[in-house]
Amino acid sequence: MRLSILLLIFGMAAVTFLPRFIPLALFTRWSLPEGVRRALHFMPTAIMAAIVFPVLFSSPEGNIIFEPRLVLAAVPVFIFSVRVKNLWGAVVLGMIVYWALGFFLR
Amino acid sequence: MKYDQFKEGSRSAIPIVLGFIPVGIAFGVLAIKSGLTAYEAIAMSLIVYAGASQFIVVDMLAAGAAFLPIILTTFLVNLRHFLMSSTVSSYFKQKSLFETAAIAAELTDESFSVAMADPVKIIGRPSFLFGLQVTSQLAWISGTALGAVFGPLLDSSSYGIPFALPALFICLLVLQLKNMRHVLVMLVAGVLSVIFKNLLPGNWNLVIAALMASGAGIWLARNETDEVNQVEGVGPG
Repeated sequence: MRLSILLLIFGMAAVTFLPRFIPLALFTRWSLPEGVRRALHFMPTAIMAAIVFPVLFSSPEGNIIFEPRLVLAAVPVFIFSVRVKNLWGAVVLGMIVYWALGFFLR
Repeated sequence: MKYDQFKEGSRSAIPIVLGFIPVGIAFGVLAIKSGLTAYEAIAMSLIVYAGASQFIVVDMLAAGAAFLPIILTTFLVNLRHFLMSSTVSSYFKQKSLFETAAIAAELTDESFSVAMADPVKIIGRPSFLFGLQVTSQLAWISGTALGAVFGPLLDSSSYGIPFALPALFICLLVLQLKNMRHVLVMLVAGVLSVIFKNLLPGNWNLVIAALMASGAGIWLARNETDEVNQVEGVGPG
């Protein structure tokens, strides 16, 4: 283990930890202002949608793309999730469909 | 620490484990390719524990980037956790600083999303959240170690492995869609996120899209005081 890399890791850890820690440390002691509390109601939906859509419709460089294999694998997972609401099942189904589509697409 | 709650949280991490092991393997392989040793790669997964930024960092290391830009990039990519930490904070009351730090250090997109699928389980139950988080990180570290040590023998881009985490997030997102307003918030956040990813570096698309879509949701629900007050139905933790 090189010392320089260890320093890099601790630097990364510090800047990763602070945004995770500061809100929890502050707002579990002093409650959030009413307006902010209300704003947090939709935050989980908004964050997860902001994570998922680029996985399906953006290239790693940020270009807007349409890749049939990704979109066609997402559709059954979406329908299964609405009907069955089972995380395990969704992950396994998604992997099987994506794998199977690989024989026909790209 | 309450062990029954910890165990329950640990069990709810299984879908994350399914996704983290293969993705951790992919990270381990890339880390070795970028010139890190196996111990260094494992130390990064243990001490930093932030998947997306770890991939970006090994990319930058391979390209010979200096340390300061790498740390700055890590900061910008992980700023989104500020929003998740704020959201999780409304389910806890005044924990010890140590307990708060432990929960905060382990907060990731995936464990946050699983916790928010059924937030009742984390209200005043930090042990549950901690079990969920620690189990997820163990999977991440194990994957990293497997990839770093057996890298050339494993191919984590085959079979359906690349779609494990996307499928997990799709299902977690669906679990959030309680009514039409949530569907609209999803569409606003998703479309904005894709557009801003095309325009901005780092992970700013996540932060900006999540803030704007939350704002849109509050505006849509402006006459529905019951709905937006749900978060306040939190007992003392």
